[in-house]
Amino acid sequence: MIGIDANTLLALLPPVGVALLAMLVVIVDLARPDRDRLLIVLATGGLALLMALTVVIGPFAGIGLLASPQEVFGGAYVRDSLTALLDLLMMSIALLTILFGPDYLRPRGLPAAEFAAMLLFAITGAMLIGGARDLLVLFLALELLVLPGYLLAGYAKRDGLSTEGAVKYFLLGSFSSAIFLFGLVLTFGYSGTTNISEVAATVTAAIGAGGVGGLAPGLLMGLALLTTGAAFKIAAVPFHYWTPDAYQGSPTPVTGYLSVGPKVAAFALILRLFVDALGGVKADWTPFIVVLAAVTMTLGNLVALSQDNIKRMLAYSSIAHTGYILVGLAAYGAAPVGSAAEAAGLQSLLFYSVAYSFMNLGAFACVAALQRRPGVTSQIATFAGLAQRSPLLAWLMLLFLLSLVGIPPLAGFWAKWYVIQAALQVGGWLTLLAVLAVLNAAAAAFYYLRVAVYMFMRDAPETAPPITLGGPTRAGLVIAAVVTLFVWVPPFTTIVIDVAQQAAQALL
Amino acid sequence: MYDLPLLTLVTFLPLAGAIVIAFLPRERLAWIRWTALGTALAAWAVSLYLLTGFDANQSGFQFGEEVSWVPAFGIKYKLGVDGISLALVVLTTTLTWVSILASFGPIKERVKEYMISFLLLEVGMVGVFLALDMFLFYIFWELVLIPMYLIIGIWGGANRIYATIKFVLYTLVGSLLMLVAILALAYSYQAVTGTWENAFDYLTLVSFGFDPTLQFFAFGAFFLAFAIKVPMFPFHTWLPDAHVEAPTAGSVILAGVLLKLGGYGLLRFNVPLFPQAAVDWAPLIIVLSLIAIVYGAIVALVQPDLKKLVAYSSVSHMGFVTLGIFVFTEQGLHGAVFQMIAHGIITGALFLLVGVVYERTHDRTIAKMGGLAGVVPVYAALFGFFVLASLALPGLAGFIGEFLVIVAAFDYFPVVAAIAALAMMLGAAYLLWMYQRVIFGDLTDFLRGLGHHLTDMNRVEVATLVPLVVLAVGFGIFPGLLLELWQVPVDDFLARVGSSLVAAR
Repeated sequence: MIGIDANTLLALLPPVGVALLAMLVVIVDLARPDRDRLLIVLATGGLALLMALTVVIGPFAGIGLLASPQEVFGGAYVRDSLTALLDLLMMSIALLTILFGPDYLRPRGLPAAEFAAMLLFAITGAMLIGGARDLLVLFLALELLVLPGYLLAGYAKRDGLSTEGAVKYFLLGSFSSAIFLFGLVLTFGYSGTTNISEVAATVTAAIGAGGVGGLAPGLLMGLALLTTGAAFKIAAVPFHYWTPDAYQGSPTPVTGYLSVGPKVAAFALILRLFVDALGGVKADWTPFIVVLAAVTMTLGNLVALSQDNIKRMLAYSSIAHTGYILVGLAAYGAAPVGSAAEAAGLQSLLFYSVAYSFMNLGAFACVAALQRRPGVTSQIATFAGLAQRSPLLAWLMLLFLLSLVGIPPLAGFWAKWYVIQAALQVGGWLTLLAVLAVLNAAAAAFYYLRVAVYMFMRDAPETAPPITLGGPTRAGLVIAAVVTLFVWVPPFTTIVIDVAQQAAQALL
Repeated sequence: MYDLPLLTLVTFLPLAGAIVIAFLPRERLAWIRWTALGTALAAWAVSLYLLTGFDANQSGFQFGEEVSWVPAFGIKYKLGVDGISLALVVLTTTLTWVSILASFGPIKERVKEYMISFLLLEVGMVGVFLALDMFLFYIFWELVLIPMYLIIGIWGGANRIYATIKFVLYTLVGSLLMLVAILALAYSYQAVTGTWENAFDYLTLVSFGFDPTLQFFAFGAFFLAFAIKVPMFPFHTWLPDAHVEAPTAGSVILAGVLLKLGGYGLLRFNVPLFPQAAVDWAPLIIVLSLIAIVYGAIVALVQPDLKKLVAYSSVSHMGFVTLGIFVFTEQGLHGAVFQMIAHGIITGALFLLVGVVYERTHDRTIAKMGGLAGVVPVYAALFGFFVLASLALPGLAGFIGEFLVIVAAFDYFPVVAAIAALAMMLGAAYLLWMYQRVIFGDLTDFLRGLGHHLTDMNRVEVATLVPLVVLAVGFGIFPGLLLELWQVPVDDFLARVGSSLVAAR
């Protein structure tokens, strides 16, 4: 029997709370239909409350009700600093997306309630991934994350592009889930357990006996399939083909969510699977990650250069950012076991995820605000003269774009800084990877600044209607901008980096 | 001790002005303009006050400020000033207010954004000269980029977008590699000392003595960043485009201060941090400098566009700066720093003058000009003055720097001096020929067609140039005023590089 005590409840409260909140949103919508504003207040207020609770629960060093990592359900789920950090990040993503949604959805006659509910369900899945210590929980959480994602991608069901994007996303997503599941089955079959730490023990023991060759071919196959599935989910090259179409077709706020939510969740999965479970054999998967990082950031950037559609451009840019995040993982992998560089790599991965989430969501929110009036296309040319039509929106977009470039002192700069310093700390091949990353950042400046050129340096067409921003969008933009702009201010930066550090330590 | 953080004040005063302007209504052009000018003048006043309180005989950095910023990496907010940086700070604050004043007339669109960009630019530029923490330096270095990107891209000429993107990409490639090098230095320091304390502190790193291989590569990365900014041949191709497309005030700042960031970087960071590598790299850099001096002058000779001509003359003049630094002698260094200041004053003025004629004719083609002397005498006189200053007429500021560098180069290797002196003659040729074509002769049909639009300089335009005339004459006659200011840092510099030099020769 599994005893349910107070600590178990506390550990489970954030994800369960979000799931309950999602149900509450559905029920309230049934009882009082078409009260979008009420639902937004309910959803965002609930999320804010749960975020506060997550902070209170911890466990962060020194604060929180839980003093130490709390394993529940026989070790299937754990609440440690990493879980807490990822929970907070995922809830922030949901909060911002819910704020950005209505402005875009309402003029198109799309209901905000289902949008919020599905998003919350997806986030529940993402949060469960963050704490999963069991392969089955991991898979179930992953499915809970992606299934609402398919629905959201096809949310504008009368729009052909949206449906097309959703179908592609669904087919390739299911395909990759199947691959992942197959890998999971093989891993289970050969190690005889679904518990991540026991899998880790089995693998490490087998490797200890005789290198990778010591692994049973089936287990090796399982690991390869797991890697492939994960690479699909983070949209690393060459497993990225679903991304541009899914991003382009989805309603813009959904695109914003898809570019950060599932990606960060997939990185959480990688942390739990590759670092937590397979950290002992990291020497075997690191070369693969190094190559993946190099190819992903380079190809993402090069293809982004030639895009005329802002959503496709940001899609490829998000692929490039996946590459930068992978550099952090590669730094962890290549660092000697137990060294400071190991923690630095994970820390940079987490910090990058946080910074990337806010700046990318902000950029997509600006795109969505520009497209508030139905009929505005996603061509970059629609940004022409935005500085005159809506100075606030133009400056905010510039801020997010500069942060994506990595201009100091914005969040994106610090993210790159931590990744590069982690890579340099390891040295050797990783130095070259760091150089490649900064060269990529310079190339990326071209396509980000191209948008700025349209906004500030070209004139708007005469017929361009005025742009208005709704209250929730404004609130969301302010939150994203504040994080992007002020992450370097001493107490703030210390908090974020400290939490990332604790989370990294939780894995080691 | 100084109670008031003067360096922070001079750096961030413009930011305060920019914030104030951001809240002014955009139709109130006069408020916006005068707030910007007032802020720039206030920053200038603070920089002059620094000059009065500065003790030129004291070694090391003065007015120091230090606050911990990211303790985990030993990153600090640390500012300080020595003779070289102080001179460049005063140059910056002077040219900024001159540029803002010069923009009152020409800039009529989006004045608010323009003034904000300009003041933010000043924050970055002053910050670069004052930062004593590698990380902080990098932040300011990048901060310069974005306002300039906007200034060229929004208020520039017809081909501005190409020019501004080119400018940003060139600069970014260099500076990002420098970032990697900065980090590599910090790691190397941390690996040896085992602590992050002071790992980004300039003074600590300068006396650390890095491993030769690291020195070699880090020197390369820093050098690339600074050489692009100077710009040295063959990294100069962004400069003519950026200059031609930038609005007048943008060109003034670009030539007057931004190019100096590169020279300053070489002087402050490249050589003292990597003395060993600097000695190894010096021959290559001297050759590149000579190519820049000669090539810039030859290309300037054939330019049909006034602004392009001045832009290429900058390539040539800045070649003297890099040449002066890398011969590693006292005269060379004095000459290099002096040339930076003189070039900032004189070329800034030349761009202002080109802007004056462009305002009236909306053209800069030399072939369309001619006979201006008869119509706009004041303009002709001022233009003549700065043309003479630029071709290094003895008695004016332009002469001292180039002369000292050539003396130093002669010491190093007489042929180098001969080539550089030859280029000075070319300089006289392209400038005088241009002046003759534009100012003398008969009034061209193009200019006659402008009729009464072709007016002489107005009071504001004269007011922008008068301070520069005073400085060009003053420093030409009393170069000692400046040379004494940076005697101590020059000695320190030579002492630092001296031992590596002895070992190499």
